[in-house]
Parts: sequence; structure tokens; C-alpha cells
Amino acid sequence: MKKCMKVTTAAGLLATAGLAAALSGCGAGDDDGKVTIEIVQYKPEAATYFDTVEEKFNSTHDDIQLIIDSPNDAMTILKTRFIREDYPDIIGIGGDINYSNFLDSDLLMDISDYEGLDSIKQTYLDIDKELEFVPKDGVYAVPYMANAAGILYNRDIFEEHGWTIPTTWDELNALCQEIQDAGLQPFYFGFKDVWTCLAPWNAISVDLAPSDLCAQVNRGETTFADNYREVAEKTRALLQYAQEDPFAYSYNDACTAFARGEAVMYPIGSYAVPQIQQVNPDINIDSFVMPASNNAEDNILNSGNDLQFSVMANCEHKEEAYEVLNFLLEDENVQDYINDQNAVPCKQGDFELAPMLDGMKSYIEEGKVADYQDHHYPSEMSVDAMIQTYLLDNSENATDTFLERFDTEWVRYNRDLIRKVQDYMKEHPDAE
Amino acid sequence: MKKKHTMGNRQGTFLAITIPVLLLFFCFNTLPLLKGFFYSFTNFKGYGSYDMVGLRNYIDLFSDSRVGHSYLFTFKYAIVSTIIVNVISLILALGLNSKIKAKSALRAIYFIPNILGGLVVGYIFSFFFTYILPALGQAAGIEWLSSSMLSNEKTAWMAIVVVGCWQSIAMNTIIYISGLQTVPEDVYEAGAIDGASGWVRFKSLTFPLIIPFFTINMVLCMKNFLMVFDQIMALTKGGPSQSTESISYLIYQNGMSGGQFGFQSANAVIFFVVIVAISVFQMTVLNKKEEQL
Repeated sequence: MKKCMKVTTAAGLLATAGLAAALSGCGAGDDDGKVTIEIVQYKPEAATYFDTVEEKFNSTHDDIQLIIDSPNDAMTILKTRFIREDYPDIIGIGGDINYSNFLDSDLLMDISDYEGLDSIKQTYLDIDKELEFVPKDGVYAVPYMANAAGILYNRDIFEEHGWTIPTTWDELNALCQEIQDAGLQPFYFGFKDVWTCLAPWNAISVDLAPSDLCAQVNRGETTFADNYREVAEKTRALLQYAQEDPFAYSYNDACTAFARGEAVMYPIGSYAVPQIQQVNPDINIDSFVMPASNNAEDNILNSGNDLQFSVMANCEHKEEAYEVLNFLLEDENVQDYINDQNAVPCKQGDFELAPMLDGMKSYIEEGKVADYQDHHYPSEMSVDAMIQTYLLDNSENATDTFLERFDTEWVRYNRDLIRKVQDYMKEHPDAE
Repeated sequence: MKKKHTMGNRQGTFLAITIPVLLLFFCFNTLPLLKGFFYSFTNFKGYGSYDMVGLRNYIDLFSDSRVGHSYLFTFKYAIVSTIIVNVISLILALGLNSKIKAKSALRAIYFIPNILGGLVVGYIFSFFFTYILPALGQAAGIEWLSSSMLSNEKTAWMAIVVVGCWQSIAMNTIIYISGLQTVPEDVYEAGAIDGASGWVRFKSLTFPLIIPFFTINMVLCMKNFLMVFDQIMALTKGGPSQSTESISYLIYQNGMSGGQFGFQSANAVIFFVVIVAISVFQMTVLNKKEEQL
């Protein structure tokens, strides 16, 4: 099989030359000797923060011109630019399957010589390691911010009724019963937006399934059917405490309902908080770790690299790029980001966390966290839609159908990857 | 000699107009098509390096239940919508072409859906289906309407049909109106002498004479509905239970956001062939029925 980089016909070059010239990214030097560093980051909700950072950076640096883009749907924009071979210098993306794919396509630069890495918590560096399809030498991303997902709850309503944070699955069920008995709505879901189906799924699966499950499956050591049955059943069990017809409402609807106190809890990540506060700025939110296991010790916080920076492999100004990363990692800027986005810093140090993370604080401090399982799912497999299908399927053997489908589709969508992993294992028989 | 010179000049002008357009068309239409065709033989993710995989993508296409389902859904949607749109817009056109008051104002009002963007209309209808319609359904005690149509696998596609039709009826009505205006008045007068009126008049006089417009409407409608995308994006995002994934939506979703650029390129190539085949079929069948005065 012939390995080939992009084949471009002469005509294609001509056609794209104009566009490429207009939109050219990586390290185009200015006339006045300034080096331009372009960052494209994928969190449009943090656009204001990055605008401030850009301004601050440019007013203190004479030799570097920093441009930070925060477009909507940045991942599609990035991928479209990559098709044109038009690369920014630094990308700010999440630690998910896209990172794995970009890394696997040799798009990212090895930055193990970057000193700032020493200040990053080891847990988050490990999470990035686990995202590599086949183990690679070097470091390819600086984890910047993590998020935390579990269950958000309305602190005022909890205090009013004297409810406490549940630490086991049984306690959670008992609490939901109690809330229903009090005439309130325990959960409100926005399952019309399929991706929100993954929020409870992820939070439950970190408690009940091994964190490297997908890698184990790729190595042919186990199946999803053996590991996901309880996860699937418990995700479905949450539905009995949801509003009527949760599949009719979108993520926005659910955030609005929770903000207005129509539901006491909402199983979603901390990233939903800004949206909720837009509807009701005075809402008093806290969150707790999804207690999917009946053994409180087994319950882990679902936390992944929400934003991390990678230098692109063909960036010509490595020194300047590192300088930008240093600036972003300055304590003051990290704290600003935390305040702005209620995020969890990946950098070591004494940062002040947002009050809505109070219930998760001990987990964050102890590093008792595990990455989102869906960061390992290929997006084209649409696991979110599969979960929605499963939750809508009321037949008796729904769980069997779902698990069987999960295993078959996994093999189908990851065929090239599984072959690659197994080739790697043949070459490195002593690797785990 | 002089004549030949001016001819050359004229031809030069025509060429000067045609060639840039042809070049643009080639660069932005034909070339991407050819490149897409090339990528359909690779496992290209949309970036980075890739391998040639021969016909694997095409073989996979025929065994992929999701692709198969998207074709079934799209055809069901396109056929139902094409029929509804053509029936309703023909009736509307007949009404708007008759001698009624405020004809121009009415025509303008009926045309408005066409100038609104597909996504905007989709979001408005999404709100309508999620909140207003269930409330009405509950008030009226109609069970299948009392929960959102969009959250039920059995009804979600009908909601998309409603929105799609609501929007395309405008354009088709205009085309039919212009068709009706080409029918000369004396044909009707001659028909009236033979006693043709009402349904007979429509069936034997009006309709045969506007068949060219019927053809173009059928072809345009079918093609547009087969490529349904905006409505899906705004209303259901392919849900619930992946029951409303259209072909275009799947190609975009998995080809762009997902890493299946190569595979979905193959899907797009097949889809292109299917649309061309259907259009050619429609043209040949319907052209035979056209009448000339």
C-alpha cells in the first residue's frame, strides 16, 4: 500500500494559490521584522478572555505579533484549513479524539523541551498520553484548562430541604425519590441535542469502567459488552427522574429550565454554568461527582483536558511560540481564565476555584480524576446518537442490542486504527 | 473581409465572457469533483497522511446500515415532499392567476417563505414543534400531538416535510404562475365553445400546456429535496435515534466533523450519480408528454 502525502495537481495549486496567499497562517513575518504567531482556539465562549490576552500580549511585546482566533465551530474550520495545508502556529483544542487524530497524522510538534511543562500537573499530562493511539515519544500538548463533569445542583433548594450530596448510587436514587416526593423535578435533560446524552454516560462510565477501556478493546483484550452493561443500565435509570419526554428539549432548554429552578439537578459538565447564569445570574450552583458506584471509594471525578495548546509541526518560530505559551501560563492569566470560565487549571499552584466546584474540590486537589470516555470515541461513529437510540428503545433486550451494536460499529469505524495498534504490538511484543 | 473582422471581434467578446466563467467553474466545481473522486479511493481523514484503499470505501458503502438508512429516509422525504409541493403550488398558482383582488400583494405574501433562510425558518419551526404544537395538542386532547413531533421517530420526518414544503412551495408557485400566463386566452375560448369548464378544462387544456413547467418543477423539487440539509440541521440534527439523517447531512457530518473524508467522498460520488440518473430519467419521461401548440 503506497503511503502518499497530499497529491496536488498543478491546476489545483493554481486554484488555491490565491486563497492560500490571502489566508496564509504559519509564521508569516511582517515587514517590520515582527514575527506573527497565530493561535486558533476552539472555545468561542472564551473569546472575550482571549481578546484581552491578545491585547495584553501585544502591548508588552515588540517583537511578536499575536493573533488569537476564536471562531464558532473551530474544529471544522481547522480541518478545512488543514485540507488546504494552511496551518496556524498554535492550536488550542480539547484533549479528545481530534487531538489523537492530529497527532497520529504527524501534524503536531514535539515540545518536550518546553520548560513550562514542568509546572503542569502530572494527571493531565498522563491523560494526554492515554490519548495517543500508539505510544509516541515526546510531548505534544500543554494542558491548559480542565473541566469537570458530574451533577450540577441548585444549592439553595438543597439547603432549603436539608438535602446532602449523595456519595453512592443508592443514596442518589433515594435523594431523587425524596425530591420527587417533595413535588420537585430531580433532573432535566436536553437529549434532543444528542451530544448531551454523553454527559451522564461519561460521568457514570469513569466510575464503572477502566479508563483505558478503548485501548484495551483495540488490543483485542476485552469487549464493550463486558464493560458497559452497568453503565448503560444506570444511564437509562436516570430517565425515571427526568422531565416528561426529555428527547423533545435541547441543551438550551435544559439549561434554561435548570436556571429557573424547574429542576433541582442537571447531570452536565461545569461548562454549562456560564449558559445557566446567562438566564439567571443569581442562581447558586454547586456540583458533585456522579456517584455511579455503590462503593463511594470507586467514584471518580470526570475531568478531561478542556483546552490544551499544541504547536503545529511546521511552525517556523518555535521560540516565539514558546514565549506565547509562557505568557498564557502566567499565574495571572490562568486565574483570569478560571474566573471567566469556571474552569479547573492544569497548572500546579494555588488558584482560587469557582464556588460551583466546591463539591468536587477534594477530588480535584487529590487528582482523583479520569478522562471522558468519549474522548476516545471516533466522532463519525456518533456514539451520542447511539446512546439516544438506546434510551429511546423501550424493547426488553434494548441493552443487548445496544452493546452488540457498540462492539460491531467500533470495529467498523476503527478498522485502520485497530490494525495499526496490532501491528505496533507485533513490533513491540514487550509493550503492555 | 471587413465582415469577417467584425465576426472575429464578436467571437472574441463571447470568448472573453465565456472563458473566465468556464475557468471559474472548472476550478470551483469540476476540480473539487475530480479531487473528491480521487479521495474516495483513500482513507483520507481530511488532513494528514493517508493510504490508497482501492474500492474498499465503495464496498463498505453498500454494507453500511447507516448509509442505507440515510438513502431510504432521503428518498421517502423527497418523494413525499415533491408530490405535496407540486400539488399545493399548482393549486395556489391557479388561484393566484385568476382574477382576484389584491393579486400582486397575495403573490408577494406567498413568496415570502422563499426569501427567508432555511436555518432561520428551521429554528422558528423547531420552537413551534417543541412548545406551541404540543400545547395545542394537549388542549385539544389529540394524543399524538401532545408531545413534540421532533422527539418521536415516527413523526419527526413529517415535521421536516412540513417545513421543507412550506418553504419550497413559494418558488414552485411562481414557476407555475409564469407557466399559466403562457397559456393563450383563445385556447380557453375555443375550449369554452366545446363546453370545457372546471376540471375538464384544467385536465385537457391547462395542464398539457404547462407540462414543460411541470417537468422543470418536478426535477428541481426532487433534486432540492434529495439534497435536504438546512432543515435537518435546524430541526433534528439527524435525531431522534438517527431516524432523520439525510444523505447530505451524513456526508457533511461524518466527512467534515468526523474523520471519514475518504469514505464520505465515495458516498458523495454515488449520490451524484444517483441524482444525475434521476434527473435524466425525469426529463426523458416527462419531455415525451409535452405538447406544442
